[in-house]
Amino acid sequence: MFRQSLLKTLTVLAILAAAIAYTFTTGYFGKELVIEAATLAILAISLDMIAGYGGMISLCHGAIFGVGAYTYAGLTVLFEVNPFLAFAAAIVVSAAFAFAVGAVTARTHGIFFIMATLAFGQMAYVLVFENKALGGDDGLAGVPRLDVSPLGLDFNNSVQFALFAVAAAALSYAAAAWVLRSGFGRTLVGIRVNEARMKAVGLTVWRTKAIAFAISGALAGLGGAIAAQQTMFVSPELMAWMVSGTVLMVVIFGGIGTLVGPIVGAVVWVFLKHEISSATPYWHIVAGTVLIITIVAGGRGLYGQIEYMVERRRLKRLAAAGVPSTATGREDETHA
Amino acid sequence: MLEARSLNRAFGSLVVTKDVSFALDKGERRVVLGPNGAGKTTLFNILAGELKPSSGAVLMGGRDITALAVAARARLGLARSYQKNNLFGELTVRENLALAVATARGAAGWIMRDTLSDAGIAEDVRDAALAVGLTEMLDVPVDAVSYGVRRQLEVGIALSTRPSVLLMDEPTSGVGPGMIQAFHQLMHTLPRELTVLIIEHDMDLAFDVADRITVLNYGEVVFEGTPDETRGSPMVREIYLGEWDAHA
Repeated sequence: MFRQSLLKTLTVLAILAAAIAYTFTTGYFGKELVIEAATLAILAISLDMIAGYGGMISLCHGAIFGVGAYTYAGLTVLFEVNPFLAFAAAIVVSAAFAFAVGAVTARTHGIFFIMATLAFGQMAYVLVFENKALGGDDGLAGVPRLDVSPLGLDFNNSVQFALFAVAAAALSYAAAAWVLRSGFGRTLVGIRVNEARMKAVGLTVWRTKAIAFAISGALAGLGGAIAAQQTMFVSPELMAWMVSGTVLMVVIFGGIGTLVGPIVGAVVWVFLKHEISSATPYWHIVAGTVLIITIVAGGRGLYGQIEYMVERRRLKRLAAAGVPSTATGREDETHA
Repeated sequence: MLEARSLNRAFGSLVVTKDVSFALDKGERRVVLGPNGAGKTTLFNILAGELKPSSGAVLMGGRDITALAVAARARLGLARSYQKNNLFGELTVRENLALAVATARGAAGWIMRDTLSDAGIAEDVRDAALAVGLTEMLDVPVDAVSYGVRRQLEVGIALSTRPSVLLMDEPTSGVGPGMIQAFHQLMHTLPRELTVLIIEHDMDLAFDVADRITVLNYGEVVFEGTPDETRGSPMVREIYLGEWDAHA
């Protein structure tokens, strides 16, 4: 079960502080990296919620992210809808799309579930790729950023936009943590651990799964709508299954089922990729090697491994102090 | 309260449930006896909704529930415990019970509140833990407890939903005499209005708790009667003693 441990809070706050400090001191390109890391973190949090806690390994989160990006871009560019309205619509449409995916795939498990989500993602990709109104494979250019001039702000200023992206990532974490700590979040973990028994005690499992997908989809769509504003351009590549695969790698690399791990994973991933890509064209070989090492080393991930060790020490201390229970923090030991 | 009407079920050409009918009154304690392979667990799976019968009907409180799925039957007050432990492995005993309590109370979808810190749910969890003797174990992870404790929790989860009909599939299978004794006591502390159907191999327990006994053999009901009638029945004696002879 999810527990907002001290380690989780401190790690999130440390990353938040570092991101803000870095945004103010780095050049233009550094800010672009901050925004990229923030949107990837939002998407990774969204995936970890249902994959790490709900046990649903989705391979369509890139597509949901893309639905958010395209909803925002399409409404603002083609229909000149108010960007704030388009932003809200992007979140709602992504959630609705994700709900449909969750509802339809709810009865499938394991490899079949993964394939079903992949199929959904590919359908969305092809739909956008072939749709001339949405720009086809050329995509849509001229996507505006949110107009925050009434607040005396300007999102075309890269510092302000980077801070906005970082704030959105922090809020996404808080929202996901809130949901996972609620009755609904407990139920979601119950389904991952023993779906049949949840049914036997009276739960309508498909509905919980579909709602979890919708909440996760809302976050993914939020990330997509921010990504569309960053580049002011959307293309079908946003929805390609490679994106879904990358997010899953980021989640595992950081620590699946820890919620903080995906943020750590996204930050390290984006900066590592930038550093290595500037030195060699073989970034993917390095990424693959890093992922294999992570999995062979126990699969807990970068943050997950640290949390595991900290938690084990804490439990030993409690046991030594004569506290027979592990009630206060089971969650961090395994991945739930 | 719970009724089976001419239930049939075959796996291929193997008929495992053959024209099974019986009816339980409200508050009745019924024990199902029968040698291995008599179709007891299959019958339970049909009653709980995990298997569809080839023909026949299951009624609860006079209502035909044959078409209802497992979860829908559970929401009507039908709970079951399993012969093989079916728990929430990596979670604590408290979390196991709380999941069942929260679901039964319609709190499984709470977004704004936590079911683990809710006073009402905590009270039901404590009641269920007390009933099955797990009060001291609440904060221990299920992965770390003994087999006996898991058997207690298996029944505890079923009781947590405050059911009106409880199906228990060999609740004491594989546990020692001490725990069988404790289970006798549990049976006598259950609310009198709770209707209970138990599959049981332990004869002492069966005769102790049962109002009536149904004997299955080769998927068919071959006998139904009070514990005394059962004890006196040559047919039951033959089915059971015959089997014992064969194993001896």
